[in-house]
Amino acid sequence: MRRWLAHPLVGPAIATIVIALLVAATTDRFLTAGNLNNLALQVSIVALVAIGSTAVIFIGGIDLSPGSVIALLTMVLACMLKFWEISFWPAIVLTLLLGAGIGAFNGFITAYLRIPAFITTLAGYSAYRGLAFMFNKGSPVFSASDRLEPLFYGTALGIPLPLIYLVVFFAIAYWLMRYTRLGRSIYAVGGNANAARLSGINVRRTQLYAFVIAGLMAAVGAVLMAARLNSGSPNYGAGLELQAIAAAVIGGASLVGGRGDVLATLFGALTITIVQNGLNLNAVPTSTQNIVIGAIIVLAVGIDMWRGELGRLVAFRRSSASVQQKTATQGEKP
Amino acid sequence: MNEPDAITWELRGIRKTFGPVVANDDVSLALRRGQIHGLVGENGSGKSTLIRTLCGAHQPDSGTILHEGRPVRLDNPFASRASGIATVFQEFSLVPHMTVAENIFLGRWPGAHLHVDWRGMRQAARRVLADLRIDVSPDAVVRDLPVAQQQLVEIAKAMAANADVIILDEPTTALGLREIDHLHDLLRRMRERGAAILYISHRLDEVVRLCDVVTVMRNGRVVSTAAETPIDVSGIITLMIGKDVTEHYPKAHSEPGEVLLEARDLTTERGVRGVSFAVRRGEVLGLWGMLGSGRSAIARALFGVDPLTGGEVRLRGRTLRIHSPSDAIAAGIALLTENRKTDGLFFNFTGTENITAANLRDFDRGLWLDVRSEHKVSRRLIERLQVTPEAEFELVDRLSGGNQQKIVVARWLAAGAEVFILDEPTQGIDVGTKVAIYQLINEFTGAGKGVILISSDDKELLAMSDRVAIVRRGQIVRTDKASEFSKADLLESSDERKRAA
Repeated sequence: MRRWLAHPLVGPAIATIVIALLVAATTDRFLTAGNLNNLALQVSIVALVAIGSTAVIFIGGIDLSPGSVIALLTMVLACMLKFWEISFWPAIVLTLLLGAGIGAFNGFITAYLRIPAFITTLAGYSAYRGLAFMFNKGSPVFSASDRLEPLFYGTALGIPLPLIYLVVFFAIAYWLMRYTRLGRSIYAVGGNANAARLSGINVRRTQLYAFVIAGLMAAVGAVLMAARLNSGSPNYGAGLELQAIAAAVIGGASLVGGRGDVLATLFGALTITIVQNGLNLNAVPTSTQNIVIGAIIVLAVGIDMWRGELGRLVAFRRSSASVQQKTATQGEKP
Repeated sequence: MNEPDAITWELRGIRKTFGPVVANDDVSLALRRGQIHGLVGENGSGKSTLIRTLCGAHQPDSGTILHEGRPVRLDNPFASRASGIATVFQEFSLVPHMTVAENIFLGRWPGAHLHVDWRGMRQAARRVLADLRIDVSPDAVVRDLPVAQQQLVEIAKAMAANADVIILDEPTTALGLREIDHLHDLLRRMRERGAAILYISHRLDEVVRLCDVVTVMRNGRVVSTAAETPIDVSGIITLMIGKDVTEHYPKAHSEPGEVLLEARDLTTERGVRGVSFAVRRGEVLGLWGMLGSGRSAIARALFGVDPLTGGEVRLRGRTLRIHSPSDAIAAGIALLTENRKTDGLFFNFTGTENITAANLRDFDRGLWLDVRSEHKVSRRLIERLQVTPEAEFELVDRLSGGNQQKIVVARWLAAGAEVFILDEPTQGIDVGTKVAIYQLINEFTGAGKGVILISSDDKELLAMSDRVAIVRRGQIVRTDKASEFSKADLLESSDERKRAA
């Protein structure tokens, strides 16, 4: 029972449910089929991109670039479909590959050239959006292809496709993180990079792969974004990187790395989206919404930290004597 | 009040326990103005505990601390510093990217409110440095200075704080011969000036040369007071070791077999300078040396952490190409690191995940990790090493130090190594776990594996090794059967100066 309560998913799941109940209490329109469908569409892009942000956070890094990567890739995809006469599926696959390539580039700079992830992706944040403006003279590409919109608005067996993407990608991400050697290595590198290296884990390659995942998921987000609006624009995706990071953090991913659960990121994204949706339904202006989201981020992380702090305070009382003894013996090496 | 030889600080009947361990028992010691007081003793004899009491880092269970004849309480390090006690630890308290002057007056920068009188501070720093005849510019940035000069700055900082007692804990481990001389000159000048100095060192010839009186500690007690101790090396060693040397080391001797691992002329840029040795099957080779002598650097070189710039490593007669720890692991070499907290454990992992971290490839089934056989392996090792059973599913930070150490040992058992490099395997763990580790070493040698044991505990090293190599300045200066060494040999061999002279 205690083990079950301590599971990293429990907190974020409860938070999501509580928020949903709160919103449902304030408006009748929340729990309608139409609104829930809308909610699924809204959450999908942020949540999928946040899978990548979570992977990078797990290795102890941070990715500020996916919003700009999305802008760049929607432009590339729209140009491919509309101007460069590349057929539909190859264009989609190329977009995904390009995203993975951009991720690999970010990862290479961070892991092998040892530029901190924050700096690398801050540069990417600036540069990739700049690059996006170099296509189609910086103007958005509208009506890219008739086949794009069904990717987002279509259904299978009556279920909206974005919901299916969510289930599939989060299932894969969960399996990758929990049950593969790469996932284990990602947690190991984030937990203690020194120990990981001394255990024979290729630390740099692991870091690179985390960025590849991030790039790929940004590309998935870009395809959906282009499909949703049947267009590409250098202005798409602004601020998305911060929402994705917020989703991971509200889900309990530790920015120090090595701790968290990728499924919890889905709940983090849901929490943000439900709050936005609820405030929208109650006709709260966007400015106020942003303030509320800010407060939720601090609260979610704060509760997580204080919980740990209280635990540590108790543990410190108990262990301070033994720590002193330990340092005492260490000080006496010949 | 300020006449020389007056007692300035005195400890009377200090007792300090940590749980069942009595670290200090009825310890008394007086520090006099204008005197350099040596404090010596083996590892774990209670010196550091005593210093920490004087620093206010912890409170004695009983006993009194007297300052100028009046009893005082040192509730915390600030109280200790405020009453004029300055401590120079092995790890410096300097801010690396600040200048020497800024460091000397750290936290006490002259000036009012937001204004700092930089010019005044630099002049004052220059005065302090000149006063102590320390040849360092007040404008130099600390991290650009060699370690020896950083140490001098540390002392200048203590002096500038108007300390009348200076405690130096192993101040010379990082210093070369000339730098030691320089430090000693400085300490003598401070003695003339009426400072009381407490000098802790394992280098006994230094102690004999520098100190006016020496207190010897053993097993938490003072075995020879300042008034009694003879100021000569062999006399002090006898006092330090005592006659009751009866600790249990269950060493099993097995017949050494063929050469398993051979290092030829091993050289790295980080402290190994042409080292050659061989480890046979069933043999424990002990490496003895001071901190920074290169004993851990040899381990790092064998394990592919520091790249080789010369020489070669042969395992079972074949030359190895080791460019990374994963190459070493694949070849069958295991390194139990000295610091399990920073280099060993994953605190975000359970015991099981920690145990299998070095051989994930064994459980990799392509698309998934075979978690079931992973747990089978870890459960077997947890039982074999008698780790608490909850370690299988529990995060390792909830486990005791002894259990944590067993978990990192289990990692290398899981990885199936043939050569085990154990760097301080029993540091900071309880006696029961120590014996378990010794028995494990016996199992290794019994199974024809090779062990390289690095330890600062001379008793342990002599008892558990078949042969011992002494490392000094990145080179092996003597290799012999463990039985050919006496404790005094090891203690004296750490004395760079004696050998160099």
